[in-house]
Amino acid sequence: MHPEFLWTVAACALVTVTLKSSFIEGSRYIRLPRWFVDALEFVPPAVLVALVVPGLFKGQTGLESVMGAVAFDPRLAGAGAACIAFFLTQRTVPTLLTGMAGLYLGYWLQI
Amino acid sequence: MLPMTPKSNRARALQGMQAMLPLLPGIIPFGLIAGLTPITLGYHWTDSMMASLWMFAGASQLATYQLISEDASLWVILMTVAAINLRYVLYSASMAPYLSAAPRSLRLLAGYSLTDQIYAIAHRDYPTTDWGLQERLAYYFGGSLVIWLLWQLCVLTGALIGQVVPVVWSLEFMIPLTFLALGLNTLKTPAHRVAALTGATVSYIGLEAPLNLGLIAGAVAGISAGLITRRLSRAP
Repeated sequence: MHPEFLWTVAACALVTVTLKSSFIEGSRYIRLPRWFVDALEFVPPAVLVALVVPGLFKGQTGLESVMGAVAFDPRLAGAGAACIAFFLTQRTVPTLLTGMAGLYLGYWLQI
Repeated sequence: MLPMTPKSNRARALQGMQAMLPLLPGIIPFGLIAGLTPITLGYHWTDSMMASLWMFAGASQLATYQLISEDASLWVILMTVAAINLRYVLYSASMAPYLSAAPRSLRLLAGYSLTDQIYAIAHRDYPTTDWGLQERLAYYFGGSLVIWLLWQLCVLTGALIGQVVPVVWSLEFMIPLTFLALGLNTLKTPAHRVAALTGATVSYIGLEAPLNLGLIAGAVAGISAGLITRRLSRAP
């Protein structure tokens, strides 16, 4: 058990349940403003894709930390492969598997 | 209307479970990833399990793990989780007319249990039926129980797999890949694509910004860009 991790997670859980419960609890008191409903539509593309960026460019993979760094970050190869797989199949699992394969291949080609 | 009987509640609960079945396969890979990624980042399987039991929200669990591993500040983590979970406010608003007459404890449980999947089936079936409150709750909790159990089971399985998978497999890379797959899936209109591209660009420019604020800036810029594009494309 890692208390620091769990405290952070507990705070996140509180935020999550607050948002989930917001209207079920308080529908008599609050109304959703129009701009909020409009903006909500663009939250998933903006946030999810923004989250990909640090995952690709920050830190390094377990692969590199164990086997040694290489010149070209294999995560970019993985992400590129995942994009191609997504556009070809439109499905999640093949996208994830191809992304991992791209990561390994991108590393292997450089050793 | 007939008086409520436990039998009809049981029937509704079963109906909710059945309605949930087609939506279940889709959560299995995410459950496994959500279970194993905390382990690949150095945490114990019990940490992973606790996180999943408390949060019960896949994408925001993954975001939390990624940001913790990047030493992001608590505020950035909370804001990101809030952004990912904002959609629940909309779901919550649309469920409220059907559930808000329930006792407080059940309302809170319904809030905790709210997922994309239970929203999808309840939102589809509540308006076309004349169920009473108890039947609606039975349906909701029947469906939620099934997905909750499967999710926790997948997380546990993922966490135990994570305990034996070597670091060199780099399974933590599944987190950005999952966000990539989910993100690509949302690019329905040009405005959505502008939102994503702007979000990614600003997030990239802000990579070295303190406290991971680049991510928040990316999210805000992306949402604004999407809204502006939508407004411009609708202008005469």
